[in-house]
Amino acid sequence: MKYHGVTLHRKLENNIGLLIFGILFISSIGGLVQVLPSIFQESLKTATENSHLYSAVELTGRDVYIREGCHVCHSQQIRPLLAEVERYGPYSRADEFVYDRPFMWGSKRTGPDLHRIGGKYSDDWHRVHLIDPRSVINNSIMPAYPWLAEWEATDLGDIQKKMSVLRILGHPYTDEEIAAAPEEIAGLSQLDALIIYLQVLGTGLAEEYR
Amino acid sequence: MADMPNDFWSGWIILITLISFIGLVWLVVSVYTAAPPNDAEVDHTTWDDNLKEGMNQAPLWWFWMIFAMMVFSVFYLMLYPGMGSFKGAFQWSQGGQIEERYRVFNDEFTELRAEIAVMPLTEIQADAALMGSASDLFSQNCSACHGYQGQGQANLFPNLNDDIWQWGGSPENIELTLRNGRIGVMASWEALLGQEGVTNVANYVLLLGSPEAEGHPGQARFNQICIACHGIEGTGNPLLGAPDLTDDDWLYGNDLDTLRETLRGGRNGQMPAFGDKLDNAQIRLLVAWLTR
Repeated sequence: MKYHGVTLHRKLENNIGLLIFGILFISSIGGLVQVLPSIFQESLKTATENSHLYSAVELTGRDVYIREGCHVCHSQQIRPLLAEVERYGPYSRADEFVYDRPFMWGSKRTGPDLHRIGGKYSDDWHRVHLIDPRSVINNSIMPAYPWLAEWEATDLGDIQKKMSVLRILGHPYTDEEIAAAPEEIAGLSQLDALIIYLQVLGTGLAEEYR
Repeated sequence: MADMPNDFWSGWIILITLISFIGLVWLVVSVYTAAPPNDAEVDHTTWDDNLKEGMNQAPLWWFWMIFAMMVFSVFYLMLYPGMGSFKGAFQWSQGGQIEERYRVFNDEFTELRAEIAVMPLTEIQADAALMGSASDLFSQNCSACHGYQGQGQANLFPNLNDDIWQWGGSPENIELTLRNGRIGVMASWEALLGQEGVTNVANYVLLLGSPEAEGHPGQARFNQICIACHGIEGTGNPLLGAPDLTDDDWLYGNDLDTLRETLRGGRNGQMPAFGDKLDNAQIRLLVAWLTR
């Protein structure tokens, strides 16, 4: 009997083990072509002049950003499209995210993109805006985060452990930096840390790409 | 793809793509060219006494749909990047695309922008279309802090509609402020003045400009410390961004508590620099809008 698609289909349908293998095999092809090679792509993991290593305070602010779910409404990736570059600034580059674990690209813009927010507004603006967004943008739909001003940055877990783990993953923190970390975040509110993180976002891009 | 450690992965992608494609062609062709099976010969599983699969040929429009998509794929992979590091006949790239868009954009607007950048302000102000653009620019870049009509807000960000300019209201000064930003620092005087001194000076500042101010207990301290920036009369110094303390315009508020807070903790007002974010024409338009 000639072997063709119909007999293959019949064989798969009658053998559940083969069917499971077939489904896994077919659905893995996309990953084998698109995901697997990118694991070896140098530009995605090699630090360059565009890569910014977060300080202890910035790292803490980033944790606030993650905990409050800012990435649910704000993306951190400016696509290479004229309209986006005109609105947000130079488009995002892969090497800018080398020290982002996990990256905060997000997938949806309920609010604006934040990748080049650093330096756009003053610290004071961020302060009043995070505590009460409507006080500066009268029709803003962003929630208020007043508790950040009262909560302490040191409540966000062991910063030294965080930095040590990131060092294992290749973030070049020195022993001195890790030793000094608790002192750097001491006395700061979570709001302070978050603002310091926001103000550094997207500012690492080298002059030639601007 | 250009930054792969070696050519292996490019070949890997090409190979899997081709094998998948050929496998799909084989599957579709073999299904549609197979002789229609004799229904009676097939050993059907039967459910619920009489429920079983038939052996009808798949509809032909499926075939044409899949065939059309395959033809599309072949042309797509020849024209655009997809087969490993092969760049495609169009040499298309994301970076190339935005450069091209910018080239078209610049071809269209460079001349106009150069014109606007040196246009007399009165001419811009007389042109409703340009002022509309300027107003849009203000909404996009300035209104988040200064309010949607430039009215100032939050007791932090100054009103831009009045005649009072902390750093000087001439077009040149406004342009400088826009380009380089400003940092308005008022130092903290708590250590020097003490609690009582802070209250005295705050009260004196509230009376400034009125006859009762003369001989007030805060006057001596004010004359020692504050006049360096705010001037002998307390009328301020736009070169330092020191505001006039004799008028009715107060950025942070003029009740006693706010003044004491200002004296105790100091102030650090920041206007971010927009020199990198806006081009010369945009800055010119904003200056025209702000001095209208």
